[in-house]
Amino acid sequence: MGESSLLWLRVAAGLYSLGLLDAIITVLRRRESLFRPALTAFGLGALFHLVSIVEQGLTQHHFPANDIFETLSLCAFAVTLTFLGIYWRYKAESLSVFVFPLVFVMTLVAALRNPVSHWQSESVRNTWLIIHIVLAVAAYAALFFTAVAAVVYLLQERQLKRKQSLAIYRIFPPLGTLDELISRTLGAGFAFITISIIIGVVWAHIEYGTSWIDNGVISTAFATWGIYLALIFFRVSAGWRGRKAAILAIVALCCSAATWIAHAQLEKRLQ
Amino acid sequence: MKLLITGLSHKTAPVHLREKLAVAESALPDALHQLQNLGASEAVILSTCNRVEIALTAPDHMTPGLIMDRFLADWQGSATAFEGHIYRLESREAIQHLFRVASSLDSMVVGEPQILGQLKGAYAIAKTEGAVGGLLETVMTRAFSVAKRVRTETGIGQMAVSVSYAAVELARKIFGSLQGHSVMIIGSGKMGELAAKHLHRSGARKIFVTNRTAERAEQMAALFNGQAVDYTRFLAMLPEIDIVIASSGAPHYILHREDMQRVIAARKNKPMFLIDIAVPRNIDPAVNDVEGVFLYDVDDLEGVVNANIKERSKQAEQAEAIVTEEVERVLSRLKIEAVTPTIISLQEQLEQIRSAEVTRALRRMPNLTLDQQQQIEALTKSIVNKIAHGPISELRRNAGQPEGEHVIEAIRKVFHL
Repeated sequence: MGESSLLWLRVAAGLYSLGLLDAIITVLRRRESLFRPALTAFGLGALFHLVSIVEQGLTQHHFPANDIFETLSLCAFAVTLTFLGIYWRYKAESLSVFVFPLVFVMTLVAALRNPVSHWQSESVRNTWLIIHIVLAVAAYAALFFTAVAAVVYLLQERQLKRKQSLAIYRIFPPLGTLDELISRTLGAGFAFITISIIIGVVWAHIEYGTSWIDNGVISTAFATWGIYLALIFFRVSAGWRGRKAAILAIVALCCSAATWIAHAQLEKRLQ
Repeated sequence: MKLLITGLSHKTAPVHLREKLAVAESALPDALHQLQNLGASEAVILSTCNRVEIALTAPDHMTPGLIMDRFLADWQGSATAFEGHIYRLESREAIQHLFRVASSLDSMVVGEPQILGQLKGAYAIAKTEGAVGGLLETVMTRAFSVAKRVRTETGIGQMAVSVSYAAVELARKIFGSLQGHSVMIIGSGKMGELAAKHLHRSGARKIFVTNRTAERAEQMAALFNGQAVDYTRFLAMLPEIDIVIASSGAPHYILHREDMQRVIAARKNKPMFLIDIAVPRNIDPAVNDVEGVFLYDVDDLEGVVNANIKERSKQAEQAEAIVTEEVERVLSRLKIEAVTPTIISLQEQLEQIRSAEVTRALRRMPNLTLDQQQQIEALTKSIVNKIAHGPISELRRNAGQPEGEHVIEAIRKVFHL
């Protein structure tokens, strides 16, 4: 990838990061406080993104979809354009919770094509990795509580629907409390896992050059993050509660467990 | 000291008899003083719509039943008017009864919380009038602790036993705190108004009322500082509403499954509680199938109430066991308290003898070192303690026993107490 093309892509990723910040704030506080500036930055980012793609095509004299990095960049740009079109037509703000983080992560990964030589010091490498692990563990813990609360919500909802008055259900918290708990743990978990993923990707980029993109462990981590993102999206935009939310939370928890196991295997291999 | 409780309750006497014995709050000080003038050491009178309880203590040489008879004759004209309805409980039975009353096990609605407050009020008046300060005070304050223990350790007071309160309980189960939640009342039925009153009292502040007659809606809205809504507009407002109480006289359903599907989608699946207490029903039962909607009609609410009553009965069994355990505990404490003065005077008597003898002996042996003097002190104390151990154990063991009085008397004579 040409140097200036990569630079424009990194500028675009930087601008898209404001969108990610907006999504995290929306999920945590459940109100759109940063949407307007984030949308402007997103539009501006799309412009730089376009410049990057065009320049890459001109430099290489072919359509820039040669490898996974270029394809990711193209996909991210396509998603951005589609979102801007939908927003212009329908003012569908709630989609941004899903689109902003997705576009940012895709662009970030695309911008990590050129390998960095090596770590400047071993302590920086280890600290980077520790932060990644701590955040990932915090995200899994939050997801665990989300799943438990979602299952209890489901049981409590069923009991109220069936109009049973069994003593066992008296110990469960009210639906409102469970819903609040789910929102908070889900929001916090999403923030943790997103930052953890970003740190992890950058770490892997420096550690393994460009070969990390094919790594199964990293793909599993991305899949978990994707499910988390979907969970957030369905909850914020469509207000998923009850059965659907519980099933999705359990699936996300299973994916997290799979990622965890995959990481454990990676640790063994590294040792 | 003897304890007696006399009274009438909803279980033993009809209301026309209960009202005869009832003592108005303003008359309580006079009644308490009269009991004291008749010879009662302490007295407490509890007078509520469901019961009248007169508790008194009297010295051992007096008969508390006679004091009570004279009081009833003076106060109510005749004691015989209540024959066959009035109960008289002494000692253990009196304590058990008091504990059961305080714990709401003897109430018309088992587990209702008001009785404890009423009993505390009666005690406070007696305390202000100087009518308690001994055995009765010990038993009363213990009764409050027992009631608290019963409420903490059993779920006796936690389940709603009225239809309108069951609606509030269910709303809390759905929304948690009702603070800030909105309520829409459709129609002007009395039950609906009552349920709305409970919800309002529980923190629901945004109350909307709709009715085919706008005037009636405005009147009811004024009761809750609420807002009247035009009947043609209420469906459009539903997405903003958390709790709907339907109690209109409409002969057909006014809310259908399709309506609620639209409402719940507009609410992004946030739960909604619909209470249909109208007969004929106002809300299509199929609405309950919509995800996030909880529909309860009168029968459903009554089902909840019946289940709660059954559950309360189960909890009451557990509460009775607590009361029995607490009665035993307070009785054994009272028995020990009864022999405590004898034990103290025995210990003082023996200590007096010991210290006098030791002083005399030391005067005769002036050359003893301080260490030797201390050894003599310790030795004599040890001997006296060993001598006292036997009689003190016997006193404690025989306290409250039928033949124990003789043993206690014998010990008092032997030691010149």
